[in-house]
Amino acid sequence: MKEGKSVKSNGQQHHHDQNGHLSPFKFAKLLDPEASWDKDQLGDVLHWIRQAVALVCGLLWGSIPLVGGIWIILFLLISSGIIYGYYAIILKIDEEDFGGHGALLQEGLFASITLFLLAWILVYSLVHF
Amino acid sequence: MAPSALLSGSKYSDSLAVVGISICTAIICEAISWLLIYRTTSYKTLRSSIDRAAKKLETMKTTSDAQKFTKKSKTKKMDRVETSLKESSRDLSLFKFKSGAVVALVLFAVFGLLNSLFEGKSVAKLPFVPISIVMKMSHRGLNGNDPTDCSMAFLYFLCSISIRTNLQKFLGFSPPRGAAGAGLFPMPDPKTN
Repeated sequence: MKEGKSVKSNGQQHHHDQNGHLSPFKFAKLLDPEASWDKDQLGDVLHWIRQAVALVCGLLWGSIPLVGGIWIILFLLISSGIIYGYYAIILKIDEEDFGGHGALLQEGLFASITLFLLAWILVYSLVHF
Repeated sequence: MAPSALLSGSKYSDSLAVVGISICTAIICEAISWLLIYRTTSYKTLRSSIDRAAKKLETMKTTSDAQKFTKKSKTKKMDRVETSLKESSRDLSLFKFKSGAVVALVLFAVFGLLNSLFEGKSVAKLPFVPISIVMKMSHRGLNGNDPTDCSMAFLYFLCSISIRTNLQKFLGFSPPRGAAGAGLFPMPDPKTN
């Protein structure tokens, strides 16, 4: 049986930081395979990872530039691969507890596609013309 | 050459104007939504009831899976929670719809402004040849046959989706995951469009 991560309520996940800044605890949790994740928290993290990958890919490919529709497919494969690698290999999440692979892979997908296209088109247009 | 001079000298510097206006519009729309929707007690109550029902349903499903059997009373209880969740989601949608008309007016006005400013003008260059369905929007109102010319409408569409979705997410205004209609491609909250 695959070792899964339990789904806990939000109340158990709060880290009390009196200064209100992001504490080392929170960043450590992002890479901790032993940490317990709430469905909403994990969804948010996956969303922002997708957006970051989209922005980086868009900026990079617009700068080089990489041209052609094939790079959209490659972006989808790369970003999905990163997301899958993060939750399956680094966090060792049991996807059954979070709605399956589909639910996890679709977090922030559409927004990331539009962000990627926007960054790619903008950089390509502004830098190379 | 300074970056600003480089960008202003670019053939497609108008794209920056489109992006800038989109960002401002997104901020204004979220501010209006906050005033009319998010800060109200009704919204907060509905939102928390949806979150509670969704979590309760999740727990009940996990428990019944673990027990490998479903009691009739458990199924009935799950149906009740699910019905309550759907009703709360519907009420939330209706509530937002009434207030969303103002935001829709703002977006309509901004699109009209952008259209008058950039009609017939290519504001960016696409690094790919779009498929025919996408080209209907990306080549909207443009002269010539170059499929890689990008119209304001397509760029504005990309800006709207990406900026507003992420802004809503950042501010915590995204629709709750338990609500109906989250779907494969969650758009920015449609009731605030």
